[in-house]
Amino acid sequence: MILSGDTIRQIKARMDRYPTRRSAILPALTAAYRQVGHLNPAIYREIARVMDVPYIEIAEAASFYTMFPKHEVGRYLIQVCHNISCSLRGADNLIAYIESKLGIALGETTSDKLFTLISVECLGGCSAAPMMQINDTYYENLTRARVDEIIAQLRTEAGQDGG
Amino acid sequence: MAENGGNTVTLTIDGRQVTVPKGTTVLEAAQSIGIDIPTFCWHPKLDSIGACRMCLVDIEKMPKPAVSCATEVAQGMVVSTTSDRIVAARKGVLEFLLLNHPLDCPTCDKGGECDLQDITFKYGTDKSRFAFPKLRIIDEHTKTTFDDKRIGPEIIRNMNRCVTCFKCVRFNKEIAGEYDLGAYQRANHTVIDAAPGEQVDNIYSGNVVEICPVGALTNTDWRYKVRVWLTKQADSISPHDADGQNIKLWYDHRRIFRATSRRNDAVDEGWICDLARYGYQFIDSPDRLMSPLIKRQGRQVAATWAEALELVARRFRDIRDKKGSVCIAGLSGGNQSAETMALFNRFFRTVLRSNSVDYRLDYIDLKDGEITEAYNCLYTAPFQIAELEQADAALVFASNFIKEHPIVNLRLRKAVRKSKARLFTANPVETKSADISVDELIYRPDTETAFVVALLHALIDQRLYKNCPDGRAMELQSRLSPSSLTEAAGICGIEVERISSLARQLASAQNPFILAGDYLTASTQRYQIGNALYNLANLLGVPDGKAIILASHADSIGAERVGLRPALSADLAGRLAEAWKEPIPDSTGLNTSQIFRAILDEEIDAVMILGANPAMRYPDGPFVNAALDKLDFLVVADLFETATTAKADVVFPLAGWAEQDGSFVNLEGRQQRFQRALPPKAEIKTGLEIIREIAETMGEPLAGDDAALRNETERLVSSWVRRPRVMDKFYDVKPAPPVGHEGYPYRLLVGNDLHHVGYLTEHCPSLIRFTREPYVELSPSLAARLGVDEAALVRVESTTGRLVLPVRISEQFDGDVVFIPNNFAAVEVNTLVSRDGGGWVKIERLDE
Amino acid sequence: MEKVLFAHVDNPQQHRIETYLAAGGYQALPKILREYKPDDVIDLIKKSGLRGRGGAGFPAGMKWSFVPKTSPKPKYLCCNADESEPGTCKDRVLMESDPHLVVEGIIIAAYAIQAHQAFIYIRGEFVFPAARMEQAVEEAYARGYLGKNILGSGYDLDLVVHTGGGAYICGEETALLSSLEGDRGLSRIRPPFPAIEGLYGCPTVVNNVETLANVPLIVNRGVDWFRSHGTEKSPGTKIFSLSGNIKRPGNYEVDLGTPLSYIINELGGGVPDGRTLKAIIPGGSSTPLLLPHQIDTPLDFESVAQAGSMLGSGAIIVIDDGACMVWTAMKLINFYQHESCGKCTPCREGTAWLKQLINRIEDGNGRPGDIDLILDICGNIMGRTICPLGDAAVMPTESIIKLFRNEFEYHIEHKTCLVKTSYPLA
Ligand SMILES: Cc1cc2nc3c(=O)[nH]c(=O)nc-3n(C[C@H](O)[C@H](O)[C@H](O)COP(=O)(O)O)c2cc1C
Ligand code: SF4
Ligand code: FES
Repeated sequence: MILSGDTIRQIKARMDRYPTRRSAILPALTAAYRQVGHLNPAIYREIARVMDVPYIEIAEAASFYTMFPKHEVGRYLIQVCHNISCSLRGADNLIAYIESKLGIALGETTSDKLFTLISVECLGGCSAAPMMQINDTYYENLTRARVDEIIAQLRTEAGQDGG
Repeated sequence: MAENGGNTVTLTIDGRQVTVPKGTTVLEAAQSIGIDIPTFCWHPKLDSIGACRMCLVDIEKMPKPAVSCATEVAQGMVVSTTSDRIVAARKGVLEFLLLNHPLDCPTCDKGGECDLQDITFKYGTDKSRFAFPKLRIIDEHTKTTFDDKRIGPEIIRNMNRCVTCFKCVRFNKEIAGEYDLGAYQRANHTVIDAAPGEQVDNIYSGNVVEICPVGALTNTDWRYKVRVWLTKQADSISPHDADGQNIKLWYDHRRIFRATSRRNDAVDEGWICDLARYGYQFIDSPDRLMSPLIKRQGRQVAATWAEALELVARRFRDIRDKKGSVCIAGLSGGNQSAETMALFNRFFRTVLRSNSVDYRLDYIDLKDGEITEAYNCLYTAPFQIAELEQADAALVFASNFIKEHPIVNLRLRKAVRKSKARLFTANPVETKSADISVDELIYRPDTETAFVVALLHALIDQRLYKNCPDGRAMELQSRLSPSSLTEAAGICGIEVERISSLARQLASAQNPFILAGDYLTASTQRYQIGNALYNLANLLGVPDGKAIILASHADSIGAERVGLRPALSADLAGRLAEAWKEPIPDSTGLNTSQIFRAILDEEIDAVMILGANPAMRYPDGPFVNAALDKLDFLVVADLFETATTAKADVVFPLAGWAEQDGSFVNLEGRQQRFQRALPPKAEIKTGLEIIREIAETMGEPLAGDDAALRNETERLVSSWVRRPRVMDKFYDVKPAPPVGHEGYPYRLLVGNDLHHVGYLTEHCPSLIRFTREPYVELSPSLAARLGVDEAALVRVESTTGRLVLPVRISEQFDGDVVFIPNNFAAVEVNTLVSRDGGGWVKIERLDE
Repeated sequence: MEKVLFAHVDNPQQHRIETYLAAGGYQALPKILREYKPDDVIDLIKKSGLRGRGGAGFPAGMKWSFVPKTSPKPKYLCCNADESEPGTCKDRVLMESDPHLVVEGIIIAAYAIQAHQAFIYIRGEFVFPAARMEQAVEEAYARGYLGKNILGSGYDLDLVVHTGGGAYICGEETALLSSLEGDRGLSRIRPPFPAIEGLYGCPTVVNNVETLANVPLIVNRGVDWFRSHGTEKSPGTKIFSLSGNIKRPGNYEVDLGTPLSYIINELGGGVPDGRTLKAIIPGGSSTPLLLPHQIDTPLDFESVAQAGSMLGSGAIIVIDDGACMVWTAMKLINFYQHESCGKCTPCREGTAWLKQLINRIEDGNGRPGDIDLILDICGNIMGRTICPLGDAAVMPTESIIKLFRNEFEYHIEHKTCLVKTSYPLA
């Protein structure tokens, strides 16, 4: 089993709140993603079993939604918005800066498995551009200094947790 | 604006007026007057999704072009299918679809019947403005392009050719209710594929190949064989089930290349199962019997027809004349043409003068004589598949429906989907209908009668019966055994409340159906179940045609109607005698099981078997084999060597259905003709020829030619009279107590594999791809108790025999019920099954 | 100018129900339940002239009135908080700062259409706003504003906060419904319209967060008050998300009809020093561009339309002379291609082709004829798709080419950029 008891409880609680079980597919994917950090067919199978919904429906839905990585990613998934509002405020250079700082290119993960860097479409932070999302948290009005600070802080956090 | 009629609408399309029923789409209205609108995603039997945008039309007063496939007609609508804007829009859509299309028509199997090809010729431009390398869709895992990926035992997908019409996925989910094919990703990365790590192997899988408008989905069966325009087509009917699926055989002078659907809205609506689609392949099998065989000094050797016929004629005459007509019996498989059965019947009754003929060679041991009157009444009910669509409730009882009746299953699914019918199932194991059932009741094996009796009690207790005075109902209740709801429910192991609720829901329905199937033939309950069901249908007021025990074989009902059973109704006997201009012999005929018994009692010496393999399939293998071995003279006509032909003194190579003209009568009683695609090869002869030639060689030829026979059969089938169900008649019910067998704790169910029905399908390579070998299917809990995993070998043993089989674990099984398919020559499942009590087995793990 | 939706945006405690109540919250709801029949609510909103704030500006009261009153099917209300249109980030602020205002609006709207189940569909990335909404919903249940027999009125309503999975298309109402049903977020053909056959095949109303947030205010303060803001045909206030090359980006609430220049120059402080204004996207990335000379256009549905664009979601993206317009078009088309649901041919294939063409021009590999080809492809998409995403991709693309064709030509001819966009990171 990949899914924890808690995740399964969350999924079941969700199912009870919708007129149909299938409506809880997206919440279930979200719950699984929150726990595991990514999604894959083994997880779809478990969700399907918990929800008593055909496995393929879980797989199809998951494939459509780009918010869930389908492969293992670093502990911190850095998602930089590269859409127009952020780009007008330096998003391309922000990406370049993080790339050089972490020594990875877009789509890659640092060798310590701490950071994965990807670019994404508009995150609804346009008035505070440039911005990025790391795991569940938005970081806005970014500057070099702010990026340095954030990365350092996350490194410390990871260090304290023992990597 | 003037409404004409109220149920019709008049509109103008391209300047022509057309009047169509309300609710018609603009597309269909146009089609009705021969105006062709190109489509990709539209299908007459699927809900429109308006995705491909090929069918755009201009409608006056609408600012944007509209999708004709999903726009309903309105009174006075003015439609143009040829405006400049529409012509441009079509070109635009076609251009989009061809952007990344590989244009590999010369090597594509869809060539010649591809919508994209046809529509491009008609509406496209010849110049490509697309200057990029074609996008080869790449699989993110394997990093290979999507050229040719096998996504199922038969299906090959080429994503580059796909026009993303979603027809395949829609068919699978909407119509078939199968969940093995899906659409993934999004935008122009959308791909069609099996579920990750799985295969598209459902019983209807071939339909997606047929409805794919391009060559994105093709099948192994048809690939690289021939171009469509080099073939001819014969109208045919699938020989593998009783539903009567309409198919088309594609052939040239040498061989058959494929089978496709031939839409008949009364029966199949254009969907066929994979058995109908790939089940023709046995015709071309290299293993076919090619010449007659005669047993000489204990060994079968090839012989000429003259020798074989001479021998059969002589022995039949000898036995008939010296020992008496009653010493000869004839058995035919249930999928011979109605004409063949009619002639076989006539040959036995008029030439051999024996009434011991039967076609019921399945797991039904009629040791107590005939099946009951009530059973027979339900079995021959005037049911109509299409009427199921109007059902608002249905009880499917004792039937693994999808295996037995793939087309009835689809119609039932449609009733649930379209008319919101409430479906209930009651079976000894879970079935695939779980997803559409309101309640899936699982009764203990061999408690079918108790289950129906429980329902009867529930109806009477709650006073839910119709057409029946209270006194009558009370009186009926006193004749029921077990005598109360609680007791009966206890026996079948279902909560009283669930049975009561089922009774309420069936009673409150306006148009309920009761359908029962093959588990009955294998149950110890079969003598009483007919009575119980008869009562049930009557108490609920279900009309005659809506309660039925469904026939199992392509021509079971044909056999009934031409009289291929020992006992005949006075009416049928009269009409047969008149047709044959000869009286029916007055001896008592024996049914299948009585025949085997009589052989062992040395009362029958000679048997002729046409297209059947009782040595493998008739219950209690040791018993039936002993009987066949004991026979003085056995003649078998068949397509392949089988355990039964191996015992024969004379074997005739028999033609398959595709090698002759004929008809089958499906479970509705619908007689449907099939045409010959190929002449029989080598020395193979049709059943008709064989019977005629034996008679001739005996010097007693059967009068009349094939045309006369055809007319006679048609008359027999169409004018067949059945005694209708008497709505206020009730029968006593006393279920046989379930028989257990000390030391044999697991109840064995035997039946069809999903992709094999009968021994012919084992000679179809495509079907073999789905299931290669036999297995024993058991529940996860039982597997855990036995300590076995999937594919582990186990020994399955009953009081009568033992087999070694690999394990399949199925979530549909619960507890101690196990299943073995009976369609594989390699395992004689009938050795495990006893005549009286079905099969009780024990199972042991084989260590390595 | 009076802030009404944002009246409490600066109060860090406003999201708590106590604060909301203290500020006069949950007064509209009891009034409605006591004094209004469902149809009266619809009438009230019709009279107010409230128009949808999600993009199309459809009159809210009218939309509600389409829900069949006699249908035996359950009815549903969906609050659209998918907020994924580039440039738009206003609903997020409302949900974060004043979630109960949204909840109260949802309850009243649900009551008006007699729905007993409502959903808030929030884009999946909005973890924090979703948590805020979730908390507000819990608080509302605890106080009897949600659940069975609300405030003793006999009216029941359940409200579920549902989060998405990263798909702009799920803001489109029919795709939203597919997604909410557990499917891939594919849009659906209309008719049937959601008001007749929406969620689970039942009558459904989809409204934007901001639209619904206006409802309690209208109930509390009346139609006349509401109409005292904005214009005759576009009454009320509107939150504009101001982003791009601007000194003070942010979300600003002003009366509809306020001139664009006021927001850009007065509130936003104009483009950064040393730069000049080049173009303005007035209503989110899907709308045609305006040029500097149109800066006085009043921001109401009619005036912006008259100026050749659309008010859309009210996301103003300011572009200065540092931006190459080929680059701008590329950023936009890349987005639309990525977000196409893939169901209908013109959008699926067309956006992908446009993306290839515009990227190749941007990369210096453009060919003569590419510009007209792009326009032709745009023509083959526009108005021929299932949902407006195809149009949304075409409108800014066509507009940019029309207004800045010279930049495209320069790119193709010189295989390089006239402007060389590079906005530094501070
Ligand atoms: C591609 C696309 C994306 C959309 N995204 C949103 C969105 O994020 N939020 C929103 O409220 N409306 C969005 N809409 C508009 C909705 O379809 C719908 O019109 C709106 O939610 C109705 O609410 P309203 O009448 O209150 O404006 C989008 C439309 C399209 C075509
Ligand atoms: S595979 Fe064929 S049927 Fe399926 S979506 Fe593609 S073109 Fe349509
Ligand atoms: S056939 Fe109408 S949109 Fe495809």
